[in-house]
Amino acid sequence: MSVAELKERHVAASDTVNSLRERLKQKRASLLDTDVAGYARSQGKTPLTFGPTDLVCCRTLQGHTGKVYSLDWTSEKNRIVSASQDGRLIVWNALTSQKTHAIKLPCAWVMTCAFSPTGQSVACGGLDSACSIFNLNSLCDKDGNLPVSRTLNGHKGYVSSCQYVPDEDAHLITGSGDHTCVLWDITTGLRTSVFGGEFQSGRHTADVLSVSINQSNSRLFVSGSCDTTARLWDTRVASRAVRTFHGHEGDVNVVKFFPDGNRFGTGSDDGTCRLFDIRTGHQLQVYHQPHSDNDVPPVKTIAFSISGRLLFAGYTNGDCYVWDTLLAKVVLNLGSLQTSHEAQISCLGLSADGSALCTGSWDTNLKIWAFGGHRKII
Amino acid sequence: MQSDGSETLSPTTQRLQSFSAADTRGKHRIHAELKRLEQETRFLEEELEQLEKMENASSACKEILKGAETKPDPLLPITHGPLNPFWDRWFEGPQDSKGCRCWIL
Repeated sequence: MSVAELKERHVAASDTVNSLRERLKQKRASLLDTDVAGYARSQGKTPLTFGPTDLVCCRTLQGHTGKVYSLDWTSEKNRIVSASQDGRLIVWNALTSQKTHAIKLPCAWVMTCAFSPTGQSVACGGLDSACSIFNLNSLCDKDGNLPVSRTLNGHKGYVSSCQYVPDEDAHLITGSGDHTCVLWDITTGLRTSVFGGEFQSGRHTADVLSVSINQSNSRLFVSGSCDTTARLWDTRVASRAVRTFHGHEGDVNVVKFFPDGNRFGTGSDDGTCRLFDIRTGHQLQVYHQPHSDNDVPPVKTIAFSISGRLLFAGYTNGDCYVWDTLLAKVVLNLGSLQTSHEAQISCLGLSADGSALCTGSWDTNLKIWAFGGHRKII
Repeated sequence: MQSDGSETLSPTTQRLQSFSAADTRGKHRIHAELKRLEQETRFLEEELEQLEKMENASSACKEILKGAETKPDPLLPITHGPLNPFWDRWFEGPQDSKGCRCWIL
């Protein structure tokens, strides 16, 4: 076949793909008979009401000397690891506010950090395109620094996000500016699987900014990307994404699984959060509310409360909306409280028992929030 | 790419040879891209078929409502029990919210 003929076939194939995508979009739209808020209203659900003193800032963790970019809780106890522009990881006991470790990083340009399931190790990654692992029980070197116990090399771009596989200190998943996600075997330092590699299908076509692993089925994880999509992956099938989720109109900065494991939330440069269903691919809800001055600031970080009834979202203008996920209403703005941060909230996370929210900010601090109001048990 | 003894060929012949080499490389690239598009077409057709049997969004919404309202949630003003006394540990013990203020240098 000549080049000219091949080019013609290429044009025809592109048209076919585009037309199929359009048909898919329309078929999906026809299946969206309601969204979560519409359904909740039809069932007579009443909105949540929060008083201004219900969610209380009960700790301020001070110690970083640069913007906080990332944080992660342990799966038990009360410890948090945070990563900062100051080139350090700090491990905190959130209950006592004590710092148990201050780790000087080999590369100061860190973007993400994670606690291992047992709490014995932490991982971080950033502009060095590598993921560094530290064993918290190691002895410090002669300079008083905790040594790197393993470096995971292989990404061809920055490491934007990392998360350990639940119950497995030996495996973690990273997302990268090289458009791929990777499952690593930490024991060997080798890549077990690459998701979205060069010759694979359904791959991201721009930087991956976030990953989130399903806590009830750890073979599944989602990734969010600058290509405006989120993708669901099965770690047993690296060759193609299980499903691609369209809807956002800007970079997907953050993805987080919903507590029931069958849905996940996203936050984007388009200023909205969205809830998607992994089994059907449906976009179930858009969370959008104009901010002051008709501003549409990007969403940089999200977290769900343990029941999923609350969605916390940090925006670049300093707002931190608390959404009632069922009724798609903002019930509180943590960013407007007097005790709140003085700059944008860049990362959020819930403690394992759901009793506390930790926020990390460009003001260099972390804060712990808990419910201090009157609780009614039904 | 030039073959051995290319210095004996005229410049025109040399240019023609390098065009057809470029043609072959371009052909392989377009062929690979075409294969990728054909694979994408198959995946999209599979997805369309799945959608024919797919549930509406309301089924998923129903599940979400059920789940979100039954699990105890320490951050909600009204929630199902049982109440866990450890939820309030953040308000016990040292109330000095400043805690350890040592600066990491």
